[in-house]
Amino acid sequence: MWVRIRNWLEIRIGLEELIRAQLTEYRVPRNINITYTFGFVALFAFLIQVITGFFLLMYYVPYSEMAFRSIQDIMTTVPYGWLFRQIHVVGSNLMVVMILLHTLSVFFMGGYKKPRELTWVLGTLMLLVTVTFCVSGYLLPWSQLSYWATTIATMIPTAFPIVGDLISELMKGSEQVSGITLNRFFAIHVMLLPLIIAVLLGLHLFLVRRIGISSPPFGKSGEAERPWTEYRHDSHGEGYPFFPDFVLKEMIMVMFACAVMFFLISFLPTLLLPEEANIPADPFKTPAHIKPEWYLLAPYQMLKIIPNKFLGISLQLIIIAVFILWPFLERKEENNILKRPRLLGFSILSLILWVVFTVWGKYS
Amino acid sequence: MKKREFLSLLLTLLGLTAAGSFAYPLVRFLAPPGGKAKLKQITFKKSEIPVGEAKEIPFGGVPAIIINRPGKGFIAFSRVCSHLGCLIDYNKAQNRIICPCHAAIFDLEGNVVSGPPPKPLQKFPLKVEGESILIG
Repeated sequence: MWVRIRNWLEIRIGLEELIRAQLTEYRVPRNINITYTFGFVALFAFLIQVITGFFLLMYYVPYSEMAFRSIQDIMTTVPYGWLFRQIHVVGSNLMVVMILLHTLSVFFMGGYKKPRELTWVLGTLMLLVTVTFCVSGYLLPWSQLSYWATTIATMIPTAFPIVGDLISELMKGSEQVSGITLNRFFAIHVMLLPLIIAVLLGLHLFLVRRIGISSPPFGKSGEAERPWTEYRHDSHGEGYPFFPDFVLKEMIMVMFACAVMFFLISFLPTLLLPEEANIPADPFKTPAHIKPEWYLLAPYQMLKIIPNKFLGISLQLIIIAVFILWPFLERKEENNILKRPRLLGFSILSLILWVVFTVWGKYS
Repeated sequence: MKKREFLSLLLTLLGLTAAGSFAYPLVRFLAPPGGKAKLKQITFKKSEIPVGEAKEIPFGGVPAIIINRPGKGFIAFSRVCSHLGCLIDYNKAQNRIICPCHAAIFDLEGNVVSGPPPKPLQKFPLKVEGESILIG
């Protein structure tokens, strides 16, 4: 039966050639390490979000009078609704973590250097889209946490003179966060952002395949370094097959990520859903200690300590622009960061600052 | 058994266990949460439905109809057509029950007279006690 299906497909789509070219003869560098699997785990997390999001849509009601109630029903009445929602909540954080780790890995391995600048830019844009996914999804449960976090997020553009207020009102659709805001964020969350990330992801993967996976600067890649004066595919003839060798490593990391996810769901179910997430939105009462999600704590703390709001937001936008355009600003050919002590020092210092601001933001 | 075969078998079993662990919650999640509404008894006065008239009521979450047939007394049916689920109507002039979707015609016993339905209409138990009609 299986052989007949294979033959049927072979005649019609050239299955064997496809498997050979895309999996078994597609090679990764000999010195590839485990950090190169983070991108695949991020992709896996995204697929989890798509699947669980689709199922949650079957019971979620995107209407301010009923949104909170429908989420409560998903958590308490719908069989296993709590499981799908928890996977969606923890999965969104997993996705942010994995994209951050993937970005750091590419940075420290010098994988953004010529000719992979566009791959980097697309990846960083996907990180921004993922954070936008999280922010837009945050409002949907219409809880106190959702409402006030969104109120703060939609007030950020008001730091800019002239157009700031207009941008803020366009985001909200009204003067305050209201049912109109909920509908806008819902439409953005389930329609616009999935389309944008699908396009970015498609282009990102196309470039990875088109150019070939970058070799880590550590260990022997088995290939002589040649300057990139024209387009060529980095075929890694001496490397390992993508399938099954590298895919098995990726699957191990996927299982590890799943283990962490189910540990959090089973033993720390309130970690990402604190008390305010279970109180319906009240536009007349701001909760006492409202804080953003962990990945936004650093920018939040930065805004708190910089006295001028416009200066604070502008500085953050500059940091984001530098981050996206980094391959065009740092153009030295040496991709071993250990041979670039100033770059290494700057990178580690930036990371430490981010961690310090995050912890400071959490406990300030 | 060779080591490779044993590992393949182990991997298949683990895969099936993992798939099963997700399949069960998913099926439960997708199944209607409330289940079927329980059928309760409903009481009417006979005078509410004169001879040759019908009354449409919701009964246990299902649209139902009670018809006072000339010379034959009361009968209660589900209004859901046994063909494809449209709601049937009582046609007083023709003394028939008609489905508007595919022109199915039922007699006043609920039997198919013409059209595509594969079986008669579902009947609900009905008792007449004095001046009251008890359904269910």
